[in-house]
Amino acid sequence: MRRYETIIIINPDASADDRGVILEKVATMITKDTGLLVSQDEWGDKNLAYKIKKKSRGYYILFDYCGTGELVKELERGFKFDERVLKYMTVLLDKDIDLDSIKEEMSKKEAEAAEAESEKDIPDNSKTEEVVAEAPQSENDNKE
Amino acid sequence: MPFPQRKQTSNSKFGNKRNNGFAHKKRRIYQSRRGCIFCKDSGKVPNYKDPKLLRAFITERGKIIPKRITGTCAKHQRLLAHEIKRARTIALLPYVGTLDYM
Repeated sequence: MRRYETIIIINPDASADDRGVILEKVATMITKDTGLLVSQDEWGDKNLAYKIKKKSRGYYILFDYCGTGELVKELERGFKFDERVLKYMTVLLDKDIDLDSIKEEMSKKEAEAAEAESEKDIPDNSKTEEVVAEAPQSENDNKE
Repeated sequence: MPFPQRKQTSNSKFGNKRNNGFAHKKRRIYQSRRGCIFCKDSGKVPNYKDPKLLRAFITERGKIIPKRITGTCAKHQRLLAHEIKRARTIALLPYVGTLDYM
């Protein structure tokens, strides 16, 4: 099993529903047999460095997944025939991976994210208070 | 930007023949290599997903700047060139930049 990263540029004029269809399709393709979708990142609308199919903007989506070479072939064939996808690129991240360790990492990350969200309110307040308290002191130092 | 500008070939102040004797002195001024920034910062590795960083290593026209000018070490220059080429493939960096881009 190998770990890959595929980045695709979708036509910026395509609707959110269209994008949803593509995302779903990719997700089902990856998980169909033994694959694992590690993460899926939407970068959103970005300027392209050069025009692709006469478009100067594009909607970027990044997939991080585990699978076999056959899966990559299948995915790329799908992108090729899909007119909404302007361009795609797949990068090999790791040649030989251990699925279980990646699953562990994923669950760890999720837990951390959940923790960070729940603790967000408290540290933020304390930080602002500290700044307020420090500010007058530094002013005094300058005067002396 | 943390990197030296490209060599200026013609400068009205030093462009005339009389000052050609200073050529070696001038070259030393432009050679401001500050060492490889990827080696200095161990967490930093060139990556095609970070075009902002990669832009420091290409010219306005989109060419990869040689390591003798940026000071990048051989290992990281190799990785860097590869990542810049990847970024070009997926339209994050231009193959041929226009001068009024950016």
